Amino acid sequence: MPKPIRYLLYLAVFALLAYNSVYFKKLDEVKAGTAAFDAAGYARDFWDKKLTPGLSKATDLNALTALLKTDKEKAFNEHSHALGIGNIRYFLVKGQGVVTDVNENEVSVELVNAGQTAGNVRLATEYIFGNAVRDASGAIDINAFTNSMDFNNVSAEINKLIREKVVPPFKSKVKKGDRVTFHGAIELNRAHLQVNDIEIIPVNLQIEKP
Amino acid sequence: MKNSIHYRIAFFCILFGIGFISCKTKESKDEPKKIAIVISTLNNPWFVFLAQKAEAKAKQLGYESKIFDSQNNTAQETDHFDNAIASGYDAILFNPTDADGSIVNVKNAVAAGVPVFCMDREVNANGAATSQILSDSYSGCVAIGKYFVETLNKKGKYVEILGMVGDNNTWNRSKGFHSVVDFYPGLKMVAQQSADFDRNKAMEVMESILQAHPDIDGVFCGNDAMAMGAYQALVAAGKAERVKVFGFDGAEDVVKSIQDGKILATGMQFPEVMAQTAATFADEYFKGKRDFPGKMPVAVELVKKDNVENYAAYGEKE
Repeated sequence: MPKPIRYLLYLAVFALLAYNSVYFKKLDEVKAGTAAFDAAGYARDFWDKKLTPGLSKATDLNALTALLKTDKEKAFNEHSHALGIGNIRYFLVKGQGVVTDVNENEVSVELVNAGQTAGNVRLATEYIFGNAVRDASGAIDINAFTNSMDFNNVSAEINKLIREKVVPPFKSKVKKGDRVTFHGAIELNRAHLQVNDIEIIPVNLQIEKP
Repeated sequence: MKNSIHYRIAFFCILFGIGFISCKTKESKDEPKKIAIVISTLNNPWFVFLAQKAEAKAKQLGYESKIFDSQNNTAQETDHFDNAIASGYDAILFNPTDADGSIVNVKNAVAAGVPVFCMDREVNANGAATSQILSDSYSGCVAIGKYFVETLNKKGKYVEILGMVGDNNTWNRSKGFHSVVDFYPGLKMVAQQSADFDRNKAMEVMESILQAHPDIDGVFCGNDAMAMGAYQALVAAGKAERVKVFGFDGAEDVVKSIQDGKILATGMQFPEVMAQTAATFADEYFKGKRDFPGKMPVAVELVKKDNVENYAAYGEKE
């Protein structure tokens, strides 16, 4: 084989190897990971297709608190969810009661059970933060996320929906003495259980007509 | 004759090969599997605790284990990984020195068939490690942020002291905190500086910030060592009574300081849970499981004056 052709062939092989050995990617793209993830869209979809239809399966809060007092393990095993591991677990709950106080951060409600009062809870109207609503239904699978910031952002977007859609129409009308029904999520610590000061992050709030 | 020699050489090669494989098989059947525990630094008691708990769990599950100290040096960490792979370790429980610099070590081990389970610190490459078991720093700091807003009554000037700027935990904590606090325009951040998770540096940073901003109401620190440093500076300036200090970690001195009313709150991490989960995942891997979550968050709990009696350093009271 003539020398020039041989060298040309070597050069072609070398170029091919070099081309396939190195590739360039923008650092921003690499660091962004799943930058294309649409947390707001995911949250809206979750709200419409999983959370709202799933509210019918929410646990009655009176029944839950009774079970927590008699068989804590059963209550947590059967009704709580969390994406991670640890003591913090979340419950999707429903209930009804009479408003006893309205302040800038929350609405206090005295629960009603079979015509009898059954303890007080707080409906959060100001501090809508954390993972309670995202995790409580158990409808989100952690393996669907490769990036931890993505599922943090999902929580933030769900909480934003609550702040925009659930709280304002309720807060503008609610007053002491109103009878309300609610669906929402609560956070409880499995190791250090406190059932006498439950805060509910609302998903659905209704004021019953007198 | 020549062919006969070739046949003999081939025969002995095959015999040697079979013998070698048999020895290897015998060794892997008789000896317990080995787990390497590679830790970023053993100079920090928090990481010593993490390593010891991982070692104890591995032993309880019936495995041999050895702790390697990377001394916060990625090159040393690479040596440990090379040694672990060459020495036939079957899994690595890993606390990385650098979220980016440690990726190559993880990838090399996994490529060599050695699963890697990250503990507490993550590497910035999705799917590189077999699984990453990490404190949910973001959510923990959401809880701290909420308590911060409540105790400052939605208004005032505050300072944020960050950890190492190259560490993911620094930013996860900061982002979680700001995801709440930034909703309140009455809360104004007058300074944000790094003190590298170091107590003395935090004291110096706080002293210098107090020169420019003597009228602050709160300080959020990315870890407890820095919270203690900031508190020391506030004591020296005579402002400890007025300024509310918040930390993150669940270190012994901060738990005690919360009891004494010196520090307002911290986020309690659970290194034992992370270490035990990592060792358990390794055990499940050996038994054939492969579908591990890419990242497994471990809940962080808000510790404050009214619940501090439930907690001790690095976790719950026994």
